[in-house]
Amino acid sequence: MHTEKPKNSFEPKIIAFVCTWCTYAGADLAGTSRMQYPSNVRVLKFPCTGRIDPVFILKAFQQGADGVLVSGCHPGDCHYIAGNFHARRRFAAFRKLLEFIGVDLNRLQFSWVSAAEGGKWVEVVTDLTERVRSMGPMVEFKELAMEEQWSGTIDTPELKEAYNQI
Amino acid sequence: MKTYISEQNLNTLLDTLIAEGKRVVAPRMNAGTPLYEPLASADELVTDQLPKRSGKEAFFPLCEDIMSYEKEGQKVSITDIDPARFPETVLVGVRSCDAAAIPVLDAVFSWDYKDEFFLERRKKTTVVGLACTMADDACFCTAVGLSPAETRGSDLFLTPVEGGGYSCETCSEKGEALVKSYTALFAEACSSKALPLAEPQTEKIDLQKVKGWLDNHFEDPAWDSIATRCVGCGACAFVCPVCHCFDIVDEGTEKSGKRRKNWDACGFWKFTHHASGHNPRDQQPKRYRNRIMHKFKYYDDKFGETLCTGCGRCIRLCPVGIDIAGIVEEISKK
Amino acid sequence: MTQPIDESIYTAVTVAIQAEAQRILSEGLVTAVVGYASARRKGSTQPIVITDAALAEKLIFTPACVNNLAVYLTKAKKEIPKTGRIGIVVKGCDLKALVGLMGESQLKREDLYLIGVPCIGVLGSIIQPDTAFTSDSIAPKCRECDAHLPLGCDFVPSQQPITPELEKKYAAEIDRLEAMTPAERWAYWKEQFSKCIKCYACRQVCPFCFCEQCLCDRNKPQMVETTPRPAGNFAWHIVRAMHLTGRCAGCAECERACPMDIPLNLLNRKMAKELKDLYEYEAGFEVNAKGPLTMFTEKDDQSFIK
Repeated sequence: MHTEKPKNSFEPKIIAFVCTWCTYAGADLAGTSRMQYPSNVRVLKFPCTGRIDPVFILKAFQQGADGVLVSGCHPGDCHYIAGNFHARRRFAAFRKLLEFIGVDLNRLQFSWVSAAEGGKWVEVVTDLTERVRSMGPMVEFKELAMEEQWSGTIDTPELKEAYNQI
Repeated sequence: MKTYISEQNLNTLLDTLIAEGKRVVAPRMNAGTPLYEPLASADELVTDQLPKRSGKEAFFPLCEDIMSYEKEGQKVSITDIDPARFPETVLVGVRSCDAAAIPVLDAVFSWDYKDEFFLERRKKTTVVGLACTMADDACFCTAVGLSPAETRGSDLFLTPVEGGGYSCETCSEKGEALVKSYTALFAEACSSKALPLAEPQTEKIDLQKVKGWLDNHFEDPAWDSIATRCVGCGACAFVCPVCHCFDIVDEGTEKSGKRRKNWDACGFWKFTHHASGHNPRDQQPKRYRNRIMHKFKYYDDKFGETLCTGCGRCIRLCPVGIDIAGIVEEISKK
Repeated sequence: MTQPIDESIYTAVTVAIQAEAQRILSEGLVTAVVGYASARRKGSTQPIVITDAALAEKLIFTPACVNNLAVYLTKAKKEIPKTGRIGIVVKGCDLKALVGLMGESQLKREDLYLIGVPCIGVLGSIIQPDTAFTSDSIAPKCRECDAHLPLGCDFVPSQQPITPELEKKYAAEIDRLEAMTPAERWAYWKEQFSKCIKCYACRQVCPFCFCEQCLCDRNKPQMVETTPRPAGNFAWHIVRAMHLTGRCAGCAECERACPMDIPLNLLNRKMAKELKDLYEYEAGFEVNAKGPLTMFTEKDDQSFIK
């Protein structure tokens, strides 16, 4: 019953920060309804999008995510009344900051997915995964993590070689 | 031994060293800021500006790994840093105040504990000092007993001469070895006069008198009036050629990570913060007092000299205009 | 072309500040006055806290009076007297920061006695404090200042600030960066942040960085690498800019204090511009109980959300 998975040379890592009440339930619905969506996505559950600190997104990129999805309840549906309204403003600002720093915003997606929208979850995740796949790996933050301040560097020809092969 | 090197030959020397795979660290511009950094070519050398950070970075990096760990299941493996990997370095164009700081650091890092990271880097570095031809009113090397022509800490010392080029003085075996290896680039000592050196305006301070006052005034209302304005950043310590405090942090994940050594500063609130939550230096003036005490008393108690070479960087760069030369001068008059 | 800027009103402003500080201290209206005093180097100044009316004559105002003294009302809580009102010398931009702090319940208006300065601008850097005050040496923030006369102070000297029209540098620089590709912008910031030494001068001089313990000083969990390596530097500056979004009053102290000349205020100005576009918010002289990121409307833009 499983369809044959296409083989790709690059499988992006997508981190999804979701709220427990809507999007997590929506993703769960997609699963129980046996809808197929890319296994590239790792879901992290939060009480509310209002709890998702922009620094988490930053950390995800730093730890090797190629794409990040933040998803929660539709406006007006927040379990805590206004968490997603606050999140909306915060992320509107944060994405502008990331853009100004030089992060390609195509790697960052925000969405509202309700508990009833299993289909929308599949669509959002598939779109983001395919888009990021076509963009290739997010190398910027990975390169930074490998870099030393000049004074602390040591001669490691084999490490350099290994790095150049990435 | 005295020799002469033309500007062109100095550039050739640096380019040759770079081509040989040595790290040539010298003042260069990084995004508009003069800093001691590895040169890609001799053209980058900037000799007319005092770098904003000191040369201590070549031996005492801003941040360095000291080990790494990996955990797989129950197995933990630890990899030490191999000091043999530290690059051979030539530190060029080091101002007198920065070069004189190096022996001061040597004393600390080879005292009761031999810091192999510092000492190995130090061993692998040749220091080419440069006599200083410009001073502003923040410079006070002369006040702490040094001068723009101070050769202390340099292996080879360059003094710019009239008509271009530098008169070179070899001050150590390392310096001699450098001249010998590239002897074709050095000419016989010339008779041209040295360019006029910088003349810092501050008068010699009686450092013993300063220490005498500090010995007896750990508690004194003066500290409040000096340092209430201190906002507690680490700028002064980080740009200082002789400040040498560091912090050790573990960074990474449960699976793998690194232990790193970073610069630290006594101005930080966290510097003396105990795990219990108690902080013996709970107010900024107490933290600033430590800066003065360490420089003009504690270090002197231990090593018999002052932990300050008068480069003036902390004066220029303090966000709130704290002036260590002024403070010490005032103390010396008490 | 470099044109000198007439700073002559500062002489009269200095006299007026001294007289007012002398009056309020001797009348017991305030327990302390935070202001500027001259220092050893030619033209240099430094912040000073005065509790004695006889010392009021130490106060000055010159183009080298760059500091935003508001920082002393939040960070130096232990050092500056707690009881009674505190007098403070403020430029327009400093007042905006105080207003922001009042909005965030860090200060109460009735605890302050505000001595406003009719300001024609200050120097961009006090590394050489005796620099002549010209259209070149003036701080970039002053080039686009709309607050030469602070409003709502308890006392403002009567001099009128007359300011030359100058090209807006931040606006031009933001335009330049916005026109780049993401990769070019990344390269730009990478070069700038490579200089960062994590001395935290930008944080310590910021009136809004008043957290008892900064996120970046915490290690459980460690959200931001403390090491001054490229990765940790990027994280720190992104976090700093984000935490100031919607709060920054534009005093540009971060940029001025940075010993490594990183154009930090550029990030703050960019975010201020975005918040103006998005929520019509601008730092001003009016105390607002809520900032743009602590409030919302149901109609907020969500064109970026699927």
